[in-house]
Amino acid sequence: MPFLTHGSYRIRYELDGPANAPTYVLVNGLTQYAELWAAYRDALVAREFRVATFDLLGQGASDKPALFIRQDDQVAALHLLIGELGDGPLFLSGISFGGLIALRYAIEYGQRLAGLVPMSCFAELPPQLLLLGNALRTGLILGGTSYLQDLLLPMNVSDQWLKPVLDKLDSVKRQGWLVNDVYALQNLMESFLDFEPLTPRLPSITAPTMILNGEFDFLTPRALHETLRVQIPNSSLVIIPHAYHAFTLEKPALTADLLARFARDVLAGNWQGNKAVWIAPEEAGGALAPFPGGYDHLRAIPTQGMAS
Amino acid sequence: MSAFFGPLDCDRRVLPRQQTRVAAFLISAHGALARQYAFTLPAKLEFAWQTEINAQVFRETEIVSLLLRATSWVPDLTLGYLAASWETAWLPAPVEAIPDPSLAMAAGLATLAHAVHAGIRPAALLPVDANADDPFVMALRRIEFESGRQLQAQILLLKGENLAPFRDAVSAILERRHTEIGRLWGDALTGVGITTVPAE
Repeated sequence: MPFLTHGSYRIRYELDGPANAPTYVLVNGLTQYAELWAAYRDALVAREFRVATFDLLGQGASDKPALFIRQDDQVAALHLLIGELGDGPLFLSGISFGGLIALRYAIEYGQRLAGLVPMSCFAELPPQLLLLGNALRTGLILGGTSYLQDLLLPMNVSDQWLKPVLDKLDSVKRQGWLVNDVYALQNLMESFLDFEPLTPRLPSITAPTMILNGEFDFLTPRALHETLRVQIPNSSLVIIPHAYHAFTLEKPALTADLLARFARDVLAGNWQGNKAVWIAPEEAGGALAPFPGGYDHLRAIPTQGMAS
Repeated sequence: MSAFFGPLDCDRRVLPRQQTRVAAFLISAHGALARQYAFTLPAKLEFAWQTEINAQVFRETEIVSLLLRATSWVPDLTLGYLAASWETAWLPAPVEAIPDPSLAMAAGLATLAHAVHAGIRPAALLPVDANADDPFVMALRRIEFESGRQLQAQILLLKGENLAPFRDAVSAILERRHTEIGRLWGDALTGVGITTVPAE
């Protein structure tokens, strides 16, 4: 289990795949740990990518600062990891909190990136997300990690995913409960107490950017991804059908396929963001479809008139 | 060496040798917190925040009482030596960088309590098949849950405005407390076949 050192803290990471291949760095969301990317490692390595995963400070096997975890430190840890990866093409993707860290990295060190894939992501905290975050933090404080998981699971995955595991939820939650500590999760959540919106800085991201958003994600809904699409110059938004916030857990084959195709298109010079809106296929390998012209992709009912 | 209690007995209970070692450590730690909070509890409360000291005294006392009754005790000849090292580690240590003696003492106690409440997770030692009806199993789950709640008082103080000018000193001492108590906890568990070091 290799570790990087950031100040007095250790960051656990893992590298898989050929050293000279284009690399994907995958950044965890809250309560996650590097092993949750296992399906992505397998799928992307099979398609001749190198894959770097790690545990954020405060999560998994990385050190857990006792009192404060600054988001700047997460970006610095990510920068440290990327520094280990040589000079080859680098693609960065993160989910939710990890997507935010990826955005911050792209703002600070965008020239290092060949491509960026924020997933279930946000650049600001509008009232709904702020209050949901506060409620989740209160849930963690009053009910512990297990209760936070109880709140997140039904928000983040579909009935189809939940139904077969309904009678074994404790075992589904167990590894996340074991590797996460209340105080460390609380520190991560409290790193938003002085959060400044990233929106004004998004136009500085020059890397090709594919924004992934679950069709039914109500934790970070379409409007938050729309901010990214509008503000990041070379971007497009891809809506994952029938997906919720944690579609990386629920649809790994499809998501890994989208990541691989995006990177291949960028490397081949075929990628054009154009701030377009796409609908992902239901299954890996299917064709992306443009969002129907003349309809508003921010609405849940077919309303004519595109959002600007 | 495993990260969990085991092997369990035929009733899926934790072996008394492991119960004894873990309960002795927890009683020593939470007993020390109960004593130190009791000494700082005024007979007459003057500020709202002092209600939390009252709560901490009784939650810590409850944990000690619970473990005394829920544990299947057996003789453990190494406990004398271990307990001496534990009790030494819990000795009051005011934060020297803070000039106000009472605040320095409160911050020192909070770092100890934070390290115990946040860093010691006894329920995480329970294997999946541990008997949920066993009082020791229930006690460990309760202690971990209550520790998470009690921890909030330490977080509020340590992150609060009063200690903001001393943030670096407090953070450094807190990290040291975590490391020290984590090592004591790890040593205590190693002696009964449990490791806190993640597998390679």
